[in-house]
Amino acid sequence: MNFSNFLIMRHEILLLAITLLLLVGEIFIPKNKKESLVHLAIFLFGIHTAVGFLQLDESTLFGGSFRTNNLINFFKNILNVGVLIILLQSADWLQEKIVNQNRGTEFFILLFSSLLGMYFMISSGDFLMFYIGLELSTLPVAALAAFEVSKRISSESGIKLILSAALASGVSLFGISLLYATSGSIFFEAIIEVITANNLTILGFILFFSGLSFKISLVPFHFWTADVYEGAPISVASYLSVISKGAAVFILMILMFTIFKPLMHVWENMVYVIALATMFIGNLFALRQQNMKRFLAFSSIAQAGFILLGLISGTQLGVATIVYFVLIYIFSNLAAFGVVQAISLKTGKENMNDYNGLYRTNPNLSLVMLLALFSLAGIPPVAGFFGKFFLFTAAASKGYYLLVFLAVVNVTISLYYYLLVIRAMFIRKNENPIPFFKNKIYMRLGLIITVIGILVLGLYSPLYDYIYELSSVLN
Amino acid sequence: MERYIFYILAVLLIVSAIAAVSSKKMLRSVIYLLFTLCGIAGIYFLIDYNFLAAIQLTVYAGGIIVLIIFSVILVHHIEMELEVAKLSKKLLVGAACALGLGVFLATIYAHDFKVVENFNTTTTEQIGLKLLSYEAGGFILPFELISVLLLASMIGAIVIAKGKKLVKSEKSNVESIQKNNN
Repeated sequence: MNFSNFLIMRHEILLLAITLLLLVGEIFIPKNKKESLVHLAIFLFGIHTAVGFLQLDESTLFGGSFRTNNLINFFKNILNVGVLIILLQSADWLQEKIVNQNRGTEFFILLFSSLLGMYFMISSGDFLMFYIGLELSTLPVAALAAFEVSKRISSESGIKLILSAALASGVSLFGISLLYATSGSIFFEAIIEVITANNLTILGFILFFSGLSFKISLVPFHFWTADVYEGAPISVASYLSVISKGAAVFILMILMFTIFKPLMHVWENMVYVIALATMFIGNLFALRQQNMKRFLAFSSIAQAGFILLGLISGTQLGVATIVYFVLIYIFSNLAAFGVVQAISLKTGKENMNDYNGLYRTNPNLSLVMLLALFSLAGIPPVAGFFGKFFLFTAAASKGYYLLVFLAVVNVTISLYYYLLVIRAMFIRKNENPIPFFKNKIYMRLGLIITVIGILVLGLYSPLYDYIYELSSVLN
Repeated sequence: MERYIFYILAVLLIVSAIAAVSSKKMLRSVIYLLFTLCGIAGIYFLIDYNFLAAIQLTVYAGGIIVLIIFSVILVHHIEMELEVAKLSKKLLVGAACALGLGVFLATIYAHDFKVVENFNTTTTEQIGLKLLSYEAGGFILPFELISVLLLASMIGAIVIAKGKKLVKSEKSNVESIQKNNN
């Protein structure tokens, strides 16, 4: 075996090296200088993100257990950018609250191992690697959700996450075992050749799909979402809502468009119903939320429903629109979470009423939030509009006009509750609003990147063409 | 003969599994779980998966059960009785389980499985070679990735376990105690 072949695992090797380096640093750097590790971690991850954009070969390793192509690499880069933004946004929180508890480095180690799991999950060539990647991406996040151990609600969200994740992966594993029973192999390549739409395969597929639906928090597997987001630290909630969800959507899309393609006439109907239920329940529940974290949780459930519109089309157009939408969704949602994080860090306030009159005292933060919510709602000048529009085009191109119509109804509902927040910030008066404060450099950088992303992604069309070109590998 | 052994094991498995989830006392539940795991090891022996059966006995029946017993003893009072669900809930859950079981059994029995003519027992040597092989069908990559998973889980467990002692804002005296300890 030629060892230079291992270079196609560059993302994984680099990230693992960074994680181990931080672990060694944690052991040898004295307690009063631990803060430097936060800077080091962000710096190293920044380099890792930049290196990720270099060209990589398309190949497979370990007899097909690990595979990579340009689309997968591109998606890993998207995840990297998302995690980098999360790190920038959480640096202040780490420095002020966590480093003095002597737990700052563990945050990075756990976050990076979870990201490593996602890399392996989306590059997996068989169900074994997929399953281990899934576990590695979930378990550390449960510890992260319980990270603020002094808060009872944080521990509660950790235990809720780990119990629902364990149930989900159990269900999914049973599904995989049924698929193995019918096809006789765990390798995707081998399964593609023998899979037929018999009852046992369909049953296995449904179980497998339910397991992943937990991660994407599709209705009816969404019950953990709001509680976990509310209790977990905000950076972890944003990680769960964009990175974890994005990776799960991506691998689900790959598998449904390749090995489960022969079952398409079955899963079309299933995805149809789930998409409708997810959009309606996510939106209707978001209407009643007062806590911003719960609000964003239900909004992210509703957004997952929109993603299914691209999935149902089952074409190259569908792949491209999903990847494009996830990219935009990462920027928009992280901008919203970033503002919530900044305000919560300075004032400890997380309710929608506390945001009344925010524009008068903190105009910049309000404008970032405005852009983020416009993008999530899909209002034309910003990127979110194009993301949703392309998804609707993908579904309409296969003739799902009723579904698209109902999705548009949902966009209208979502517009209402996104505007509720905007009304609170810009129009409502408040006798003692949140006072003016200045963010530190990392947080400002994190918010600026998201704003640039939201503005540029919608206007710079070659990017979509590039994604469309990459998506041809799945056809 | 094999058939009878299978049925004996199956009865042992089902009875102890039901006992494990319905027992009021925690420690008893754990012991019933031990019987379940041993029964599964028996099934593995029956179908000639000797290595898997040995692993099942040493890791699960030996290691995991001891761990669970330790954590039960450390976390709770052993005399504490678990809550028992209401009859209506029990019936509802029972009905749902029966329905699910029916669907699964019907689908599995109706499926036309391919019969494989391969009675070779996998030896431990073969498993060892496969575990470290990087060719097709080798398991070196999952093996290494699991070690990362273990590392991450240990760090996660440490974070949760050590956290409370080091929170400075809540109890300032904790800090002084630690200084004394150091």
